[in-house]
Amino acid sequence: MVMTPPPPAPLPALAGPRFLSRDGIQPLLDLLRADGRRVIGPTVADGAIVMDEIVSADQLPRGWGDDQAPGRYRLVRREDDRLFGYNLGPSSPKAWTFPSLVPISRATRSEGKVTFDPVLPEPPKIAFLGIRACEIAALRIHDRVLQGGPFVDTDYAARRADTLIVAVGCTVSAPTCFCTSMGSGPELTAGHDLAIVETEDGLLVEAATPAGETLLAALAARVATPEERARATHEVAATRARIGDPVALPGLKERLLAQPDHPRWAEVAERCITCGSCTSVCPTCFCTSVTQTTDLAGADVVMNRTWDSCFSPSFAKVAGGSFRSRPRDRYRQWLTHKLATWEDQFGTPGCVGCGRCVTWCPVGIDLREEAAAIAPVRPPEPVIAPVAATPGAFAVGRVSAVRSETADTTTLAIDRLDPAFAAGRPGQFAMVDLPGFPPLPISISRFTADGLVLTIRGAGPATRVLCGLQPGDEVGLRGPLGTAWPLDRVAGRDLVIVTGGIGLAPLRPVLDAVVADRERFGSVRLYYGARTPADLLFRDELEGIWPHAGIEVALTVDRAGSDWSGPVGVVTHLFDRATWDGSATHAFVCGPERMMQATVAALAARGIGAARTWVTLERHMECGIGLCGHCQMGSLFICKDGPVFSIAQLGDTFGREGI
Amino acid sequence: MTERPTPTPAPVPEDRTYAVGELTRVEGEGSLHLVVRGGEIVEARLGIFEAPRYFEALVVDRTPDEVIDIVARICGICPVAYQMSAVHAFEDLFGVAIDPSVRALRRLLYCGEWIESHALHIWLLHAPDFLGYPSAIAMAADHRERVEAALRAKKAGNDLLRLLGGRPIHPVSVRVGGWSRAPRRSELLALRPALADGLAIAQETTRFVASLPMPAFAREPRLVSLRHPDEYPFNHGRIVSSDGIDIPMADWRSIFEEHQVEGSNALHARTLDGKGAYLLGPAARVTLTGGTLHPLAREALDQSGFAELIRTNIYASIVARGVELIHAYAEALDLIDAYVPPSVPLAAWEPRAGVAAWATEAPRGLLFHRYVVDDRGRIREAQIVPPTSQNQAAIEADLVVAAREVLALPHAEATHRLEQMIRSYDPCISCATHFLDLTIDRA
Amino acid sequence: MASSAAPARPRVGVVKMASCDGCQLTILDLEERLLDVTERFEILDFPEASSARSAGPFDVLFIEGSISDPHQAERIVELRARTRYLVTIGACATAGGIQALRNWGDHAAFRDAVYARPEWVASLDRSLPVADLVPVDAELRGCPIDPDQLLELLAALATGRRPQLRDESVCQECKRRGAVCVAVAKGVPCLGQVTQGGCGAICPRYGRGCYGCFGPREGANVDGLLRHLTADLGHDPAEAGRLLAGFTAWAQPFRSAIDATGGAPEGSRRSLPMAPEAARRAAQEGAR
Ligand SMILES: Cc1cc2nc3c(=O)[nH]c(=O)nc-3n(C[C@H](O)[C@H](O)[C@H](O)COP(=O)(O)OP(=O)(O)OC[C@H]3O[C@@H](n4cnc5c(N)ncnc54)[C@H](O)[C@@H]3O)c2cc1C
Ligand code: SF4
Ligand code: SF4
Ligand code: SF4
Ligand code: SF4
Ligand code: FES
Repeated sequence: MVMTPPPPAPLPALAGPRFLSRDGIQPLLDLLRADGRRVIGPTVADGAIVMDEIVSADQLPRGWGDDQAPGRYRLVRREDDRLFGYNLGPSSPKAWTFPSLVPISRATRSEGKVTFDPVLPEPPKIAFLGIRACEIAALRIHDRVLQGGPFVDTDYAARRADTLIVAVGCTVSAPTCFCTSMGSGPELTAGHDLAIVETEDGLLVEAATPAGETLLAALAARVATPEERARATHEVAATRARIGDPVALPGLKERLLAQPDHPRWAEVAERCITCGSCTSVCPTCFCTSVTQTTDLAGADVVMNRTWDSCFSPSFAKVAGGSFRSRPRDRYRQWLTHKLATWEDQFGTPGCVGCGRCVTWCPVGIDLREEAAAIAPVRPPEPVIAPVAATPGAFAVGRVSAVRSETADTTTLAIDRLDPAFAAGRPGQFAMVDLPGFPPLPISISRFTADGLVLTIRGAGPATRVLCGLQPGDEVGLRGPLGTAWPLDRVAGRDLVIVTGGIGLAPLRPVLDAVVADRERFGSVRLYYGARTPADLLFRDELEGIWPHAGIEVALTVDRAGSDWSGPVGVVTHLFDRATWDGSATHAFVCGPERMMQATVAALAARGIGAARTWVTLERHMECGIGLCGHCQMGSLFICKDGPVFSIAQLGDTFGREGI
Repeated sequence: MTERPTPTPAPVPEDRTYAVGELTRVEGEGSLHLVVRGGEIVEARLGIFEAPRYFEALVVDRTPDEVIDIVARICGICPVAYQMSAVHAFEDLFGVAIDPSVRALRRLLYCGEWIESHALHIWLLHAPDFLGYPSAIAMAADHRERVEAALRAKKAGNDLLRLLGGRPIHPVSVRVGGWSRAPRRSELLALRPALADGLAIAQETTRFVASLPMPAFAREPRLVSLRHPDEYPFNHGRIVSSDGIDIPMADWRSIFEEHQVEGSNALHARTLDGKGAYLLGPAARVTLTGGTLHPLAREALDQSGFAELIRTNIYASIVARGVELIHAYAEALDLIDAYVPPSVPLAAWEPRAGVAAWATEAPRGLLFHRYVVDDRGRIREAQIVPPTSQNQAAIEADLVVAAREVLALPHAEATHRLEQMIRSYDPCISCATHFLDLTIDRA
Repeated sequence: MASSAAPARPRVGVVKMASCDGCQLTILDLEERLLDVTERFEILDFPEASSARSAGPFDVLFIEGSISDPHQAERIVELRARTRYLVTIGACATAGGIQALRNWGDHAAFRDAVYARPEWVASLDRSLPVADLVPVDAELRGCPIDPDQLLELLAALATGRRPQLRDESVCQECKRRGAVCVAVAKGVPCLGQVTQGGCGAICPRYGRGCYGCFGPREGANVDGLLRHLTADLGHDPAEAGRLLAGFTAWAQPFRSAIDATGGAPEGSRRSLPMAPEAARRAAQEGAR
């Protein structure tokens, strides 16, 4: 860097982010330019925020935002004066690192002799300003594709050799964003030199490399206050929560590749114009053709590497025709390459979830929708035929054992039951009926060889009566009912269980399954909270069996007594400081709805998206089999469509009041 | 300035026919037919066999912006002229107030077209006649530098058109209300050197063509053009003539009319007063409104000594064209220097029913458009009167005069001279053909 | 001149049918490259540029304009017989041009309404692309053609290689040039998706929708575009259809899509009764 020798850093490098006012961006621009760099950053042009050369902070889209949807983009004025309060526009760093047309070789032919002179670029030194986490992820993908070997695109390598990146962590998101699903954002993790997070206060700038440190030192900005830092963290976490997890990535590759003949390919091909806009705006698409510019004699030739698209009719042409003559073949090539085969070729999906192809498809085709339709996440576990599945009928079972769990909660073991009950799955429930009382939904808290176990809190008259049953008493049961926790999906992956109070009951069969086949799962963590230590259920398991089986158990209580030395507080605090990475983790959550909302947000902030977060919902139920209508929530019947749902499935009905 | 000496009249042959089946180095397809019987010229005809394209019908039911795109296709040499007459007609009817910079850009666009068209005509189509070559390409063998300079100068005009309109032929950015895209100042400034070079070449060219021997010719035509008090006429002014016509451009139909002539796919225009032929174009403009020429152009005209001859000798129109070429470069440079991007490049507008009529000065002369528009802004009826169909009667009148001058020449040379005379008009036959007055009975 | 060892220069002709001359003007607009071209090729017949005439035979013949009168129909057949490599240039020659809109109408009524003395005017009842009458070896699209594509074709002809005329959409050129999509960002209907590239996406770069002057590209999904414009964006079907009724309207699948959405705009479609003004003119002519 050719700036004046940096003053000895006034603060140790690890002092954390510095604070810059929005106007402080100009000195940063000046520093970058003084370093001989062309600064490529956002600016408003032709009705969009595009990337272009920036020499003055006045060119930045201060106060501009955007409104994006499939096939639609509109610039809008923001109510504040944020510099980076916009979502990605059509252009990406690709236009500079991998330009649409570059000469790669000059060739001559004269008197039978031919010569080839590779054109070695002398690219300008570039600093990218304002690029986002997903764009850095896209650069990483290009690095792998174009210079990961065995052959290297020399033009790309030269352009990429000295790029400095001043990135921005996202505090905004568009409905088209899905970086969360693709594990590429919105947090900045690596690949940048300086990280900026813009909040209402201003800019928090943090260095990630020595080059970044040097810049930061030269800016001589003050250290950000804890409040400023908290707001920044919060805004990025809120972005993650807002985006949710729109694409069910785990298993997507296999699911997609299993559907080469799905009728949806033909359906989408009726909409797709095969215009190739999607591949052109995609920051990772790298397909090119070599075009030639020649003089009239054909003796002096320049070969150009030119962006092409798998949507061009001639892209897959060979003598005798095109391999992919039908639009449906071309759409399938695009989607499966981005989301599946790329992984085999280069180790990651070819999509970073930037959403450009969704916004800039002129007819608004949304690849997320197409992927979900062609390769839906495995439908909820098949509902086994329940016993006594008519409104008036119940199978009779006998209480074989009674165990008092806490002052108000009792566990009943029931045997002599129709053996079909034993085929139930963790998470399912039964309607329990004592003649004279209304039938109640109660989760099955364990499956046994000849029956099942119910754990009941005396919350009202009927439950209190159930809690008072003695061995030998009989009850009516309908079940097992409803959807189950998706254990198959979690197989081989990490699992986090977050629950409170009686909510542990429907999760105990999950933990039983983990104990029974510990190898089947990755790390399993249980975060469990109760009002007081005395309200903790299943003490034996919590303190002995589960920890012994390699399940990480963390407990908390609202009110501690003298006998409690563990944490006190809400259950989400238990993983506030945890170090695990949520990007491939699933979560099962059960508790009061408020608690579940808070938990889902906290999990999202740790990288567990909506498609990997599962909850079990409680609603008033009279029948349990979809006939009485009591349990409806939006379009869902909690009894037969649930009670176990992924947050992705629930969408914004989850946590909304009054539904 | 010299006029080529005319040979002493030889005995006029009794019966003779001069015919050029397909005129060359003109835009479009026309023929020349001159019949002499008993020493009398009995027929002098510029035939137009270019296939008709029915534009006036095609624009019916179209929107104003569609019309701007469509009428451009009447002529690949002067598409801007068609766009200009149409856009002004509509803006006038709809009462659209355009930004002053939008207007300046329109003049600039017109400069580009005048450069392209005049340069093409002087160097590629007409000069070979004076220098005795079949084409500029052939001429390049002996005058390579001159032809290269000419092509370079012409390119400056095309580059200007390309910047403003996306492409030189059928530009795309002219819209009712302004421009779909206005250029940046830096983009315009980048064109300055080439235009300045073009200006110098045009000055040299004008001196050069003024030194060429002009065939003798004399006829005092009635001249018609637009005139504006402050500027050389492109898009605004009143219609004036050498014999006192002075009317608002929208009133074209009060003085002129079109009629059909056998052997021609173009309608001819004439004045309603029965005086018939009139002449449009560079010679008319330079004569009627020479006072508003750019000082550099005026200076060139004065130095050439052609100011008078231009009026009476049609062959000398090449000098008038050179003078206007200088004007176009010089004004383009001035406009670029003064350019401020429009604050409202494209003003919003609402359609209004009525008659939209406007005339602008195409490189070849007055181009009149008239549209009957309904309340949705759709065209119900159109009339487009291009310069060449208005000049046709003058051309034929001149043919008679020219014929008298050349009858003594050997047949081939005489024919060539007549062809050259027609080329002096820079006739645009493609234009002429497509203008067939169409009135549609809406009942 | 020049290269002494050069092989015989291909003999070239440029011929005009029904057109505006813009495409052949593009040849003259090659500017600084024009003289190069004339050194590489022998210009045998090019009436707009030269009074030296020839009837061929031609190695390469460029045809501008559509076939729209009986004389042209005869001529194109003769010319084809004298030509080795026949190239159509421009929307008129490749698709019938803007004047092909009249193909939707009743030609006689059309002509009668336009001319006071229709018997003096000879024209075919359709304006047709050249390929409807004779085989064509190559085509350059556009209204007008693109100079770079023209040069590329000339270079290919001069060296005997296949011209690189890419069969991609205007959208791809638009994106390569970093233009902002007017359809997505401004809601302006744009035909770029279904239109053959080659122009360099002029219209979108100039802030407006493509109007399809390069004609439909291979396999253009016009139905998909129209469905989006009407069903998703709420445009009136007839309005959406008339977007296609431009300079390449007669080319398929534009033509069928125009029919399916209610036909070409009125002016090109109706049987026109003799208008009062035309009648007046006819009377005048008769009187003279
Ligand atoms: C799928 C599901 C699984 C459940 N699993 C268990 C479990 O394993 N252990 C357990 O102790 N409780 C469980 N419950 C809750 C249990 O059904 C209620 O606590 C019980 O119905 C209360 O009835 P009550 O007559 O004793 O009390 P009430 O006085 O009638 O009600 C006490 C509370 O329970 C709610 N409630 C009443 N009737 C119902 C009903 N039919 N369905 C749902 N909520 C009701 C009331 O709104 C009130 O908030 C589950 C509920 C659902 C929907
Ligand atoms: S496929 Fe679409 S969402 Fe994914 S990286 Fe490419 S443009 Fe972005
Ligand atoms: S998905 Fe959309 S953007 Fe991609 S080719 Fe099809 S129509 Fe074009
Ligand atoms: S295609 Fe267009 S530019 Fe070419 S001749 Fe026809 S109307 Fe003119
Ligand atoms: S964008 Fe479309 S209409 Fe415009 S020049 Fe290109 S092909 Fe023609
Ligand atoms: S409980 Fe009756 S419908 Fe769901």
